[in-house]
Amino acid sequence: MSNELKLKNQTVSQWVKSGDPWVWLNAGAVAICVIMVIGLLALIAVRGLGHFWPADINQGTYSLPGNPTYTLVAERVESAEVPAAQLREAGINVEDHHDMMMRSLMKTGNRDVYGSDFRWIIDEYFTDVTKPEMLFAAERHEWGNLYGYLKAVKENGQVVAQTSDLTPTDSALATWAAFEKSIERATTIYDDIHEVEKDEIGSINYKLERLRLEQRRLELNNALTPEKMADIDAQRAEQDALYQALQQRLIDLYAEINRDTFVVQVMDGSEHELQVAKIVRAYRPNAMGIAEKIGFYGSKVVEFLTAEPREANTEGGVFPAIFGTVMMVLLMTVLVTPFGVVAAVYLREYASQGFVTRIIRIAVNNLAGVPSIVYGVFGLGFFVYFLGSGIDQALFPEALPSPTFGTGGLMWASITLALLTVPVVIVATEEGLSRIPRNVREGSLALGATKAETLWRVVLPMASPAIMTGVILAVARAAGEVAPLMLVGVVKLAPSLPLDGNYPFIHLDQKFMHLGFHIYDVGFQSPNVEAARPLVYATALLLVIVIALLNLAAVTIRNHLREKYKSLEM
Amino acid sequence: MSATNTHSIDISAMQRSQQALRIEDEKVCLSVKDLHLYYGDKEALKGIDMIIPEKKVTAFIGPSGCGKSTLLRCFNRMNDLVDSCRITGEINLHDTNIYAKGTDVAELRRRVGMVFQKPNPFPKSIYENVAYGLRIQGINKKRVIDETVEWALRSAALWDEVKDRLHESALGMSGGQQQRLVIARTVAVKPEVLLLDEPASALDPISTLKIEELIHQLKEEFTIAIVTHNMQQAARVSDYTAFMYMGNMVEFGDTNGLFTNPTKQQTEDYITGRYG
Repeated sequence: MSNELKLKNQTVSQWVKSGDPWVWLNAGAVAICVIMVIGLLALIAVRGLGHFWPADINQGTYSLPGNPTYTLVAERVESAEVPAAQLREAGINVEDHHDMMMRSLMKTGNRDVYGSDFRWIIDEYFTDVTKPEMLFAAERHEWGNLYGYLKAVKENGQVVAQTSDLTPTDSALATWAAFEKSIERATTIYDDIHEVEKDEIGSINYKLERLRLEQRRLELNNALTPEKMADIDAQRAEQDALYQALQQRLIDLYAEINRDTFVVQVMDGSEHELQVAKIVRAYRPNAMGIAEKIGFYGSKVVEFLTAEPREANTEGGVFPAIFGTVMMVLLMTVLVTPFGVVAAVYLREYASQGFVTRIIRIAVNNLAGVPSIVYGVFGLGFFVYFLGSGIDQALFPEALPSPTFGTGGLMWASITLALLTVPVVIVATEEGLSRIPRNVREGSLALGATKAETLWRVVLPMASPAIMTGVILAVARAAGEVAPLMLVGVVKLAPSLPLDGNYPFIHLDQKFMHLGFHIYDVGFQSPNVEAARPLVYATALLLVIVIALLNLAAVTIRNHLREKYKSLEM
Repeated sequence: MSATNTHSIDISAMQRSQQALRIEDEKVCLSVKDLHLYYGDKEALKGIDMIIPEKKVTAFIGPSGCGKSTLLRCFNRMNDLVDSCRITGEINLHDTNIYAKGTDVAELRRRVGMVFQKPNPFPKSIYENVAYGLRIQGINKKRVIDETVEWALRSAALWDEVKDRLHESALGMSGGQQQRLVIARTVAVKPEVLLLDEPASALDPISTLKIEELIHQLKEEFTIAIVTHNMQQAARVSDYTAFMYMGNMVEFGDTNGLFTNPTKQQTEDYITGRYG
């Protein structure tokens, strides 16, 4: 017995000595990391991507004990089992024999009619559930989704198609076809209106604003001669004439778009007449086949990626946020790379390696650990309020008191993030410089090159993969940063992109949208949190993908550079 | 000079004329006067006096750590890169002291080129490697650079091997080719002196032979100083040989004389293989 025990002890200690436990420990840690990362991605992918799938619309009778019975028409959003006791506490008269009950969140839409989009139901009392083919869902420019039966389509108040059937009879389908045609027409006109308002009138407004600033600038300089004034007035008159023409066109377009209306019967049986112009798209999910659903899904995803947000960001797309994020990161990269490289070159190649250099190096390394909100505060206090207002006084006095650079904007956000990430670039570049073999430097010096020439022509190109490593780390950090941006230039909704057709094309002073802030805004600042939640996940997934793509681009460049210089690692 | 006949030089031709060379008859290219070099407190060169004759090959031999590479690196002030290094005495290139204040070191290195022990081509194309020195000097005319690159590659007996892949990376060449490329690169800036720091020690015997043939050819145009561990090599390629030991110049004279009839016991011990 004792002999056996001893033997076992021996094997355990041998097992420990063999190093196996460490291997298991390491492998276990890696496995946990991998599971967590995959779990995270899977969660946001499932929750986010499911949002675009056209869910079936249920119709049934809901009769909660002690409450009036009514017909419910809704999409099921989520279900969970809850203890019956909890429901009883909440004042719902649940029969005694229930212990656990399914509770579901249903999206009823029609916020303009019922006051809210969602309601909780207990599945037990939702009976006679059917999925009628003629039930349709419509996304609207305002008031969220609409669910109901189409009754009639009207042009200028004249009925062009109508039906009294709730089943797919000929008259019902004909009405639906007329409705779809009418929506297509309205959408085309809507796009025209959008183009006129946003691009053409926007451009005129921009020019008028520039003229106003020009005049103000001349006034401030006491250089506003009558000739110049006349010139400005002439230009202004020209723009005004253009504006009047566009205004007339808009009036016509609005008259056109408001021509059609339709009548819908909602779940309480009431009928409402609404304008077709308010509809983004209408579809009958219960009648869709799998192929149609996939097609619908694709078009929703495309809309998400390319369209502008609607309804306080809870609907529509996130294109301005994608654009803002990428633009800001690229600008940050352009700023941080030369700055970090130059600093690293000085520290490594020129500064004498003494006490002061060491202190500076430690300080730089520690800068990387400062919480990002601190950079935000610094950016706001120094860049925006101090430098920005200084720039405004000196260069844009005509626009005062409204600030140009004296308020958060794309440039300040990029510079703040560049400051945040510069330590990473410095450290990586120094590392790279220290690994360039001495004999290559000597080879260049021996040919009569100065130190600067050697650095510029031989050492830096060879250190470029290491520099790129730093840039990759910087991009990864900057793209995911939100806190400092909220202080220095990111907004909930930017009226225009920071890059457009109006001179000077890149508007560094403009505020912009950002995916990270978009997540926060949609998820926690939105008036309709339930409706926006899937979008939070979808946006989060998109942010991860955008960062991954930015990184992938940088990694590709680095690998290319590495390939070029690889044989030098001797 | 014509480079196409490089390979016609055979080894027997390199066991060359027995005619006696006399250092007194040579034109002086570099002269070293009482040169002391210290790494921190350690004295690495202890008062060297010698001359490097023009358009001849001077070899430095001696055991490891005797200071021969250090001395070679003094000729183009490569030791300036070592922080703790301090030098007294003077070295004159023709009649100018290269350690005088205000010397343009880059200009000096253009006139005194150097090839190192390990091939160190830049991570650029073959063409750009050779053109590097020219571009540093601000020469950008394509025709001039083309011509010089071809001339330099021919001088280094490399042209025929690489003329079809001038724009490929130099890092894809063999070690021997890389070393000849480095020589071509150095020759391209037309220096007066070529310093070779054990140029063949990292190469195989065939490549070594090619380098030796090359040295033999290059001395028609350049003054050459070569550090070598290999006494046979010193005997084969050099006109004059300096034997150094522990930071001192023990013996300096024409190669034949030094190898066949050394005047110092230390020299004899070394060349007969008793130590080192």
